[in-house]
Amino acid sequence: MTALSNTAGLLEISGVTVRFGGVTALDDVSFAVNEGELLGLIGPNGAGKTTLLRAITGVITPGGGSIRLAGRDITGLPIHARVRLGLGLSQQLVRPLRSMTVIENVALAAGHARTLSPLAALMVRERSAERESALKFLDMVGIAEVADGQPANLPLGTLKRLEVARALALEPRLLLLDEPLAGLNHVEAARMADTIAALNKDGLTVILIEHNLSEVLRVCSRLVVLDNGRRIGEGEPRAVMADATVRAAYLGREAGDAAA
Amino acid sequence: MLAFELFMQGLVQGSIYALIAVGLTLVYGLLRILHVAHAGLFTLGGYIGVLVTNATGSLALALLTAMIAVGFVGMALYRFCYQPILDRPPYVALIASIGLFIAMEEIFRIIFGPYGLSYTAPPLQAPIILLGMNLKAAEILTMVGALILIGGLGVLAGRTRTGIAWRATVKDPQMAESFGIDIVKVRYLNFFIGSALAAAAGVMVALLNNLVEPTMGSVPSYKALAIIVLGGLGNVRGTLIASLALGVIESFGTIYLGFLLDRDAIAFAFLILVLMIRPQGLVGRSNG
Amino acid sequence: MVEIIGAYQVSLITTMGISVILALSLNLITGFCGQISLGHAAFIGAGAYGAAMLTTAGWPFAAGLAAGTAIAAVLGLVVGLASLRVRHDFLAITTMGVGFLFLGVVRQQEWLGGEMGISSIPDAGLGKGGYMVLVVLIAAAIALFSVHLKRSWMGYAFDAIADDEDTARMVGVDAARYKLTAFAMGTGLAGLGGGLYAHDVKFIAPDSFGFIESITILSMVVIGGIGPVWGVIVAAAVLSVLPFWFQFIEEYKLLLYGGLLFAVMRFSPGGLAGFVAGFVAKHKRRRAAAP
Repeated sequence: MTALSNTAGLLEISGVTVRFGGVTALDDVSFAVNEGELLGLIGPNGAGKTTLLRAITGVITPGGGSIRLAGRDITGLPIHARVRLGLGLSQQLVRPLRSMTVIENVALAAGHARTLSPLAALMVRERSAERESALKFLDMVGIAEVADGQPANLPLGTLKRLEVARALALEPRLLLLDEPLAGLNHVEAARMADTIAALNKDGLTVILIEHNLSEVLRVCSRLVVLDNGRRIGEGEPRAVMADATVRAAYLGREAGDAAA
Repeated sequence: MLAFELFMQGLVQGSIYALIAVGLTLVYGLLRILHVAHAGLFTLGGYIGVLVTNATGSLALALLTAMIAVGFVGMALYRFCYQPILDRPPYVALIASIGLFIAMEEIFRIIFGPYGLSYTAPPLQAPIILLGMNLKAAEILTMVGALILIGGLGVLAGRTRTGIAWRATVKDPQMAESFGIDIVKVRYLNFFIGSALAAAAGVMVALLNNLVEPTMGSVPSYKALAIIVLGGLGNVRGTLIASLALGVIESFGTIYLGFLLDRDAIAFAFLILVLMIRPQGLVGRSNG
Repeated sequence: MVEIIGAYQVSLITTMGISVILALSLNLITGFCGQISLGHAAFIGAGAYGAAMLTTAGWPFAAGLAAGTAIAAVLGLVVGLASLRVRHDFLAITTMGVGFLFLGVVRQQEWLGGEMGISSIPDAGLGKGGYMVLVVLIAAAIALFSVHLKRSWMGYAFDAIADDEDTARMVGVDAARYKLTAFAMGTGLAGLGGGLYAHDVKFIAPDSFGFIESITILSMVVIGGIGPVWGVIVAAAVLSVLPFWFQFIEEYKLLLYGGLLFAVMRFSPGGLAGFVAGFVAKHKRRRAAAP
């Protein structure tokens, strides 16, 4: 496979730089995500993966560079506006709305068209269509049986899937998954990875940030590797992992993790 | 000369604010509670000061009694009012505290009557000429007293084992606990000292005005809230600066802004202005 | 109307209705959208002053009332815009500051009557009974609107913002716009309540809209359960007439409000509604456990 990052993609990251105080968390990072691909974003701890994700979603604003989604510059947009343009995010730390049941969490996301304008939202009370589609997404990630449960009473593995279901309910063009497998056991992780691969096969573009390299190598079609805030590798998974720089970054500091 | 006099008046008022606000910001730093009822302790201190002075004739004894007694009341407030609701969302403690404060004011009114108490023989009213200015001895005492008390607090926090444990707890309670610091003890100490300082402020205000009344805590309490926000919630140094600055600004503002705002609104005009420019406070948060 | 139920009851019900309007207006902001406000009296005051100034100047009652509502809503939008920059504790103190600032400004304005306020505000021309009916109808309309709002998608989005604003944004909710909407609606209705209050008592002064008034309204919302419409209505109605029913309470009104505010937060943060829900759940469990 050739370097895909030169063609115009669904998401284009160009020269993104983020500094916290004196620390450079991201240094001139560029790459593109193509329509329909499942891109793995990997790197050792502290490489800047989550920082990059937060820059993409708009939690932080980069000091330099630009981020384009489907050709549109979204660098300065607030979070909700990016979501409206087709970003869906499942966060590393789960944050369910604890005052609502599981299905209500997802139905709110499924009703993103309803909540677009406050006044239009005031006019409508009907929620059954959104609840139905919420149930569909809960089923897709395998937690439909706890639809009426309270998030406070559910285990982390279930809440992780709730995050994914809620992101899916936004019907995003690009799904960002931040460590969706963390905290899941071996079987659960494999099942979640399969779900992600299946979603991708149905046409959804995905960025997967994950420490579980064996699952990443199994499902991703392309990898971008970050280390110390720089992009140090990109391309077809097996080739990337064979690259000397990438191996050094991993084996040098995290031999244990890479072997896992 | 007028400017200098206004400046000195502002510092006297600012010292009072500082004594009240330091306790408030300490409680916030440790527990993330906006302790509105703190001003009730200020009023209580004023009452104890007047009552003990009138009974014994000794202002020093009155000050000491007020500080110790109110310190213990502060600890009791923590134990019975705040500790059980620490895990709830922050507004719970805030609203509880407002309710407590209003109830305290009413209890003062019911016990001591609505018109307040005065000293039978007001101490320290003698005029003192300082730098060509006519100041009351009580005003000098207020400034010097505030300086000594807050200086003492600084020494305690900076130089003693207890103080170091205290600051460590404010910075990171979990870390402090893992180092074997008894954070419950630190909280009691925190409430004792903060409340004692508020009581001292109460005694001094009683002295300056020769009057204590049930509602004397209202305006200072809300103003102290504004001050600790300006100082960067939980930041003691910032709070001191904000207290003195507000005292001086009000002092001048009363003369130059009086046509637009009354004195007590200046603090909030300043507060809102600052928050719009710097949502994290004038000095910025020291932690959290 | 007055002949049927008596003048005393008419004024009682009018007071009650106005309190319900004011409590429900704050409930939109604090109960539904989760934004604490310690300065609600400023908006009640803005509506009261606006309406009273205009009717005193010869405007018809309805026009004055509408203008007062609009003035309060615009002020609420401005404060809401400013409040977007601050959250939680900072928001509480900022709104409190707005309350003090309102008082501080009004007190110094001769054209607003200064400390003396505005007296001999013209009558609404509906008679005591008619005025009571108007107040009750408006209160009922606001209650119905609240119930509808809570069940609509706007209420859904408010729930999310009250719960966790960042997560609400993650599902595409424009939290800033929704919060502004809540502020504008809540403060506008507070202004309406203020206008009704001014034309009921015929005299207003800065002290009618101080911090204690803000806290009184807040205590109605808190004791009602922060959100549940019927809980807030019951709390507002009962708390506003208790001093009428028991003369000795008038003397200790603030002690009662303060004490209740503290006690509810300390022992039953769900308020009246939470208490009843807990009681019902317990009762159901007991019934289910019985053979």
